[in-house]
Amino acid sequence: MPVPIIMPKFGFTLESCEIVQWLVREGDRVRSGDPICEVTTDKVNMEVEAPEDGVIHQILYKAGDVVPVTQVICYLLRPNEVAETATAAIAAESAPSATPLARRIAESNQLDLAAVQGSGRDGKIMRRDVEQALGKVRATPAARRLAAEHGVDLAEVQGTGRGGRVQGTDVQAALAQRAAEPAAPLIKRDTQEMPPPNIAEHADRRVVRLEGMRRTIAQRLQKSFQSAPHIFLDTTVDMSAIEALRATLKARGEKLSVTAVLIRACAWALGRNPALNATLEGDEISYWRNANIGMAVALQDGLIVPVIHRAEQLSLYAIQQEVDRLAALAREGKLTLDQVSGGTFTVTNMGMFGVDSFTAIINPPQVAILAVGRTVRSFVPDAEGKPILKPTLTMTLSADHRVVDGAHAAHFLRDLRDVIQTPSLLAW
Amino acid sequence: MPELRELTYAEALREGLRQLMEEDERVFLIGEDIGVYGGAFGVTAGLIERFGAERVIDTPISEAGIAGACIGAALTGMRPIGEIQFMDFVTLSMEQLVLQAAKVRFMFGGKASVPMVLRMPGGSGTGAAAQHSESLENWFVHVPGLKVVMPSTPYDAKGLLRAAVLDDNPVIFVEHKLLYKTKGHVPEAPYVVPLSQTKVVREGAHLTVVATSVMVGRALQAAEQLAEEGIQLEVIDPRTLKPLDDAPIIESVKKTGRALVVHEAVEMGGFGGEVVARIAASEAFDYLEAPIRRLAGLDIPIPYNRELEYHTVPQVESIVREARKLVRGEY
Repeated sequence: MPVPIIMPKFGFTLESCEIVQWLVREGDRVRSGDPICEVTTDKVNMEVEAPEDGVIHQILYKAGDVVPVTQVICYLLRPNEVAETATAAIAAESAPSATPLARRIAESNQLDLAAVQGSGRDGKIMRRDVEQALGKVRATPAARRLAAEHGVDLAEVQGTGRGGRVQGTDVQAALAQRAAEPAAPLIKRDTQEMPPPNIAEHADRRVVRLEGMRRTIAQRLQKSFQSAPHIFLDTTVDMSAIEALRATLKARGEKLSVTAVLIRACAWALGRNPALNATLEGDEISYWRNANIGMAVALQDGLIVPVIHRAEQLSLYAIQQEVDRLAALAREGKLTLDQVSGGTFTVTNMGMFGVDSFTAIINPPQVAILAVGRTVRSFVPDAEGKPILKPTLTMTLSADHRVVDGAHAAHFLRDLRDVIQTPSLLAW
Repeated sequence: MPELRELTYAEALREGLRQLMEEDERVFLIGEDIGVYGGAFGVTAGLIERFGAERVIDTPISEAGIAGACIGAALTGMRPIGEIQFMDFVTLSMEQLVLQAAKVRFMFGGKASVPMVLRMPGGSGTGAAAQHSESLENWFVHVPGLKVVMPSTPYDAKGLLRAAVLDDNPVIFVEHKLLYKTKGHVPEAPYVVPLSQTKVVREGAHLTVVATSVMVGRALQAAEQLAEEGIQLEVIDPRTLKPLDDAPIIESVKKTGRALVVHEAVEMGGFGGEVVARIAASEAFDYLEAPIRRLAGLDIPIPYNRELEYHTVPQVESIVREARKLVRGEY
């Protein structure tokens, strides 16, 4: 029997991975530990390795496929194993397990059970799975009546009831949506459709399929901006004290970045404003005890947000070390899932690109993000009203108004400004 | 505006009995310890002094005898009102009630009738254990020729009692031990609450709760609690289980799309099954958004232990839980 190679479960909550590319072809000889394909979660890219020596046999998924974890993605022939007998063995082994009733219904409807996804224990195919594959829709009587009255195809309505059952209210929602966009016909879901090639070169343009990290970015940002009502608050801070600190360190041959300062300052202010150190998932708001601060890092194509965990417990020095280490790993594409998970707040700094100030979209399920511009020299009035030249920096807080009240956000910004202008407060 | 007069459920019944006896000399009471002692729950207290031992008759301990005497008297033109001390003991009257009282009018082609009322307290909650706590109403619901009434308030108790005595058919009148001391508005002048008129006790948009007897009050308390969460229960009391007026129930389910039936009697073979079936077979079916659920007594004899007794039958918190799950789409 050939060795099945499965999609690994890289992280505790990981449910599926997308195959980015295959590094081997069927028939290739591999050694234990050789990378055989590259996969991506919605956060990081990783490689799947050959578990032992052998020959690649039967690649079951193609690049671009999203595969549930622990699913077999290909087989490995052991030395002396013959391809033909191996194929037969696999077929026998992987024949779908189904209840007798499910099997009978499938047979009488000439349905291939291999095409049916089982929902029973260990993926066993149940009667409901076969019925679903045959197009039977679970719906309440109320949903059926409304669908019949208004000529709605229940198969096209997204069910929100128990186990995906279509409720009458779902049909009403579909009707309301149809009324809102009369021109757009309900698009039939077609999961059998072949994905188009990833890149198509035309005379006038180059078309790239939205996938992988770009797709994740697109989905997350769209969802965030559409579902979270954003409020934006600006403040300008006097960077004199930080500039002085940086100059002192520079004279000692050490480096302190504005990003590191901001992460430490945010952690300090978040400790005093827990309303912003929160995540919103479903109907639950979690207020986190530690400030796990994500920092947006631009990549060649896209971006990634590694997380500085427990930033409130770290010294500025430790944060600077961590910022440098994670940024380097990010650019090399070597971040682990743990290093990009668990963030409770995000800082995004575009000062180094010369941006004065900007607004950022919240990184869900977090409820706030701080967008930081560049440090500029500007004249500000002193106590007597005479202009004096000072380094200033403008930052903009975006907050999810469902969870964060305006006053919460304002208090946070005030604390943040105070600690940046008086860094000795960090010891408080 | 004058303050509304309040009576307990037991007082309302007593006043109703007294008024019926004053109006019509054919009306008499018969039962165990209903005279000098005033009844095990005091419903007939003082009536023997008012009407004498000929019209408030204490009997030996024979429930078959009480039922049989009622039937015989009714057949000969009287309007007897019998009392069974605890509903549990009506089991001893079953032959008289099922084979005689229920059948006579049909078997004699309408030439004879049995205009009797048999009162009895059912239900648990008093620590009276398995032989004094049963809810056997559905035994009678299953018998053609009997009517079954279950008042849940003092007002309904008095009005339904009058309707039952005026009716020419045998009526099983099921009271509840826990309700006897509950108070409510009861007018002094005689009035009728017609049989077979289901009542919407509280209006609400999200879930129809059909409850009987003591469960009506519990359903109303549950409705109060859930209203704070924005869940609106519509509480319906059939009041007469047979013949059942199901139209208001069906109308309600058409509105809410969800139904829960609550009674104290054991769920298996209980009245709730009938209500569920009526809903499922009606035009309300096309409006259902969730399975129709029942909440009823466990399929065990009522335990003596008070804690176990409490958990044997639906309580306010179990109604709240079940209603919440139904409305939130967890079924």
